[in-house]
Amino acid sequence: MDREKTHAIVGVGYTPQGRVPGRTSLSFHLEACTNAINDAGIPKDHIDGLICYRHFPAPSDENDLTPHLVAQHLGIEPNYLSQDAN
Amino acid sequence: MLDAGLCRYVLISYGHNAFSSASLFTMLMDFAGDDAVFGHFGATGGYALAARRAMHEFNTGPQTWKHIAVAQRAWANLNPHAMMHGKPMSFGDYLSSKYVVEPLRLPDNCLVNDGGRAVIITTLERARDLRHRPAVILGLGQHNPSVQVTQSGTLTGSTGARKACETALSMAGVTRDDVDACQIYDCFTYTVELTLQDYGFFGPGEGESWFSEGTIGPGGRMPVNTSGGQLSEAYYMGLTPLSEATMQIMGRCKDRQLGPATQTKEPSIILVSDNGGILQAHSCCVLGRI
Repeated sequence: MDREKTHAIVGVGYTPQGRVPGRTSLSFHLEACTNAINDAGIPKDHIDGLICYRHFPAPSDENDLTPHLVAQHLGIEPNYLSQDAN
Repeated sequence: MLDAGLCRYVLISYGHNAFSSASLFTMLMDFAGDDAVFGHFGATGGYALAARRAMHEFNTGPQTWKHIAVAQRAWANLNPHAMMHGKPMSFGDYLSSKYVVEPLRLPDNCLVNDGGRAVIITTLERARDLRHRPAVILGLGQHNPSVQVTQSGTLTGSTGARKACETALSMAGVTRDDVDACQIYDCFTYTVELTLQDYGFFGPGEGESWFSEGTIGPGGRMPVNTSGGQLSEAYYMGLTPLSEATMQIMGRCKDRQLGPATQTKEPSIILVSDNGGILQAHSCCVLGRI
C-alpha cells in the first residue's frame, strides 16, 4: 500500500471507569469524545464524521443511544453519522 | 470517507453505564433466544460452550487460560487507570476462583464497568501536523463467516480471525514475524487463546506451552493486552485494544510502555483484534509507527 496515503489515529479520550453511579451512557460518550478532541488538539467543529461503536441495548429507563444524539449534545454537525452494528 | 473527502476527522465513540444498569448483565447471563430451552443462557454460556468443546478437541483449559488472566493482571498493575490496579493475582488465586459458567471462572470473564472511550482518525498527512506521533493504520482485515454460533461450521476454529489477520498483514506489507505486540479483544481468556492461535502464533493445543514462558506479560517476548485489557483494565468493546495500541505506538504508556521500561521490544507494529457475536465476526488492524 502507499503508506503516505494511509490514515492514523491522532487522539484518545478516556473517562473515569469502574463503578461511576448516577451517569447515563450518553454522558460517558460525551466525556470520552470531548477528551479525544482535546487530546488531538483540534477544534471540535473539525469533527465531520462520527461513528458510535457497536453497543448493547440501553437499560430500560434510557433511550437507545444514537450518533445523532451524541452529535447534538457535542454541538457538532458531522457530514457522516453511523451506528456500528453489534 | 476520509479518502473521498467526505470527512476530515472521524470520531469513534463508545460509552456505557454497564455497571450501574442491568443491560450488560442481561446480555451476558439471560436468555439468548429459543435455544434457552436447551440450557443456553447469554453470551457467557455461548463462549463457555465453545471453550468446553476446545478442551475436548485439544489440549486447552484452565492451565492455559491462567497464564492469560495472570499476565494481563500484571499489566494492569502497571496501569493506574486500570480497574484491577493494586489487585495482584497469582495462579493459585485464579485456580481457586469461582465459576461463572463452567469452565470459565470469574477471572476468565471481562469486566463490567461504567465508562467511555473514544479515538479520532484522520489522514496521515493531517496527522503529521498534530501534537502526538501518529498511530498509523497500516492494514485492515475483516472476516465474518456466520452470524450466530449456531450457524457456525466449527466451534473451535479456525474462526474468521485467521483470514482477517492474513488480509490485514498483507495490506500492511508485513508478516507475523514483524509484530512486536498484540492487543486482542478479550471478552474471555479463551478468546485471546483462540485469536492468537488463528493468527498463527501457535497450533491448536500448543497454547499452554506458548503462554507458559511468561510470553505475553511484562518482560515477555510477545506482550498482549498491555493496559490489562478487558479482563483487568475496562471493557469498551474493540476500543479497549485499539486505544491501548494507539497509546503504545504514541509512546504515552509510562510504567507499562513497551520498550526499555518493561524489558520488551519497542513497538513498531502492533496487531489489534475485535470479535463480535460468539466468535463469529472478526476484524484485525495493523497499527504502526512510520
